[in-house]
Amino acid sequence: MTIKKRYLRIAHLLFIALLLIQLLPDQSTKAVYTSYLVRFAVGVEVIVLAASAIIKKEESLALLVDIAGFVYVLLAVWSLATAKYNYLNDLLFPAPGKVIHQFVVDKDKIFINIKSSLRTTLKGFLLATAIAVPLGLFVGWSARLGSAATYITKFFSSIPPIVYIPYGIALLPTFKSVSVFVIFLATFWPVFAGTMSGVLGVDKKIIDSAKVLNVSKPEMLFRVILPASLQQIFLGCNQGLSVSFILLTSAEMIGAKDGMGYYVKYYSDFGDYTRTITGLLVIGFVVIGVTFLFNKLQKRLLRWKP
Amino acid sequence: MTTNKIEIKDLTVNYIENKKSFNALHDVSFGVGKGEFVSVIGASGCGKSTLLSVLEGLYAPAGGSVQIDGKELHGTGTERGVVFQHYSLFPWMTTRKNIEFGIKQSRHDVKRSERAKIADEFLTKVGLSGFGSKYPSQLSGGMQQRAAIARALAMNTEILLMDEPFSAIDPKNRVLLQELLLKLWEGDGLDERKTVVFVTHDIDEAILLSDKIVVLTAHPGTVNEVVNVPFDRPRRRDDLVKTEEYGKFRNKLLSLLYNDIAERIGGDEVVL
Repeated sequence: MTIKKRYLRIAHLLFIALLLIQLLPDQSTKAVYTSYLVRFAVGVEVIVLAASAIIKKEESLALLVDIAGFVYVLLAVWSLATAKYNYLNDLLFPAPGKVIHQFVVDKDKIFINIKSSLRTTLKGFLLATAIAVPLGLFVGWSARLGSAATYITKFFSSIPPIVYIPYGIALLPTFKSVSVFVIFLATFWPVFAGTMSGVLGVDKKIIDSAKVLNVSKPEMLFRVILPASLQQIFLGCNQGLSVSFILLTSAEMIGAKDGMGYYVKYYSDFGDYTRTITGLLVIGFVVIGVTFLFNKLQKRLLRWKP
Repeated sequence: MTTNKIEIKDLTVNYIENKKSFNALHDVSFGVGKGEFVSVIGASGCGKSTLLSVLEGLYAPAGGSVQIDGKELHGTGTERGVVFQHYSLFPWMTTRKNIEFGIKQSRHDVKRSERAKIADEFLTKVGLSGFGSKYPSQLSGGMQQRAAIARALAMNTEILLMDEPFSAIDPKNRVLLQELLLKLWEGDGLDERKTVVFVTHDIDEAILLSDKIVVLTAHPGTVNEVVNVPFDRPRRRDDLVKTEEYGKFRNKLLSLLYNDIAERIGGDEVVL
C-alpha cells in the first residue's frame, strides 16, 4: 500500500468536519456534553490512524476506515439536529455527547448487562446448533425423512418464537430460561433447515468419492456431508443469529432482571431517554461485534472454498 | 486355464430414468488379467462409465456377474483405488490430508504417524512436492488429477479404476499426465504392476497406455471387440506415433468405433 492509500481517506476529512461543527454555538436548553463527543471522536481517530500504520491488508483497513467515516457522519448529523439547531425534541433525543457521557457513567452496569445478554444468546444459540446440525445431517441424509422434514420445518419456522413466551413462562422455572428457550427456538429452525438444504445439495460426485473409499456411516455424516454442507449451515446460523438478537431484547423485556433488553425497557419506562438511546446504541455495537467475529469464524472454516 | 484378476460375465445393467427402465449394458463379458492395463473405449452414451460404476461397487447390475479373484463383487471396497474425472479429492482437506485419509481407509497396518510421510512420498512421485498443504481449489485441474493419482497409488490397492481421469484437462497437460501414469505404472516390476481398468474416449490415450482395449458399442452397450495392443513396453509416445503400425492400428480402432455408428444411422449414406 502506498502512503497515499494508507492515510489519504475521506473519513479523515469527515473527522475534521465533525470537529468544526462542534465550534458552532449550542442552542439546546439541556446539557450537551460536547467535550465527551470530541474526546470520543478523537479516540476513534487515534485508533484509525494507529491501525492505518499497522494493518497490512488493504481490505481490512478500508473496512475500519469506512466504519469510522460512518460514525463521524452519524455523530455530525446527530449533533446538528440536537445540540446545534435543536430540531428534535431534546427530551426524546439527547445530544450525542450526553449519550456518550451516560455510557461512561453507566459503563460498569452496561458491561454486566452485555455479559448477561451474551451469555443468554450464546447458551440458546449453541444448544440449538448442537442439536439442529446433527439432526439436520441425519434427517437430510435419510432420503425418506428429508422431504417430509422440509415441510414440517416450514410449518414451525413460520411461527414467530415470541408467541411461545407465555408457554415458556408457564412451564419453565426461571425468566432466564425462558429467554434461552426463545433464542433456542429462533436459532433451531433456520439452522436445521440450512443443514438439511446443505445435505440435499451435496454433489453426488463427492458422495461417490466417499463411498469408493468405504467410509463408515458416522464418517460419511461428519467428515464428508458436514463439511460439504458447511456453507449452507453457516447461512442458517447467520439467520438464526440475527433473529436471536431481535428476540433477545424482546425476551429480556419480560421479567428479566438484567441484560441489555432489560436496561432499555427499564429506563424507557421511567422516561429516561438518554439511557434508552445509550442502551439501543450499545446493542447495535454488540451485534456488529458478534457478527464480525462470526464472519471471521466462517471465513476460517470455509477457507478451502474457491 | 489362467484365472483373471477381474472377470466380467454376461453383465447386464438397467438404468431407471423417468420411471422408464432402459438397458445401459447388455451381456458384456471380458476379463482383465493380473497386472494388465485395460482401456474401455466407446462413443458417449455407450455405457463405459456405467461399467466402471459397477466395478467401483456404486451400481448394482441387473444380471450377470463380476468376480474379483474368483469372488463375487459386492459393493464398494478399498482393494480398488478409484480416480474420477471430478471431485476425487475432498475440497475441504489439503492434498496431504486427502492422501492420508485414503491411506487410513485402505491400509490398516500403516500407523497414524507414518501416513503423512507416505503422503509426501507419493506427492513427490507425481511432481507435487511442496503442494501438500494446498487445498484442491488452489490447484489447477491437472494438479488435482495428479494428487488424485497420488492418493490412489498411496492406497496401494491391487486394482486401479480410472473413469476418464484426463478428459477435463487441457491437451498439453493431458499428454504430461498420460506420460506420468505410464511411467509410474511401467515403473513397477512385472509382478507388482497394478491391474488397471481405464475408461476413455481418446483413442491415442488408450493405445499409449493399454495392453488391451475393449471397444463398446452403444444402445445397448455391448462389447464390439477386444483388441490386444501390439506394441512393446516401455513405450514412448514420440517413437510410437511415428511408426506405420501405429497408424494402421489406430485406423483399425477407428473403424471399429465408427463402422458401428455408420451401420446404425444408415449405412452407405454416411461418409466418414
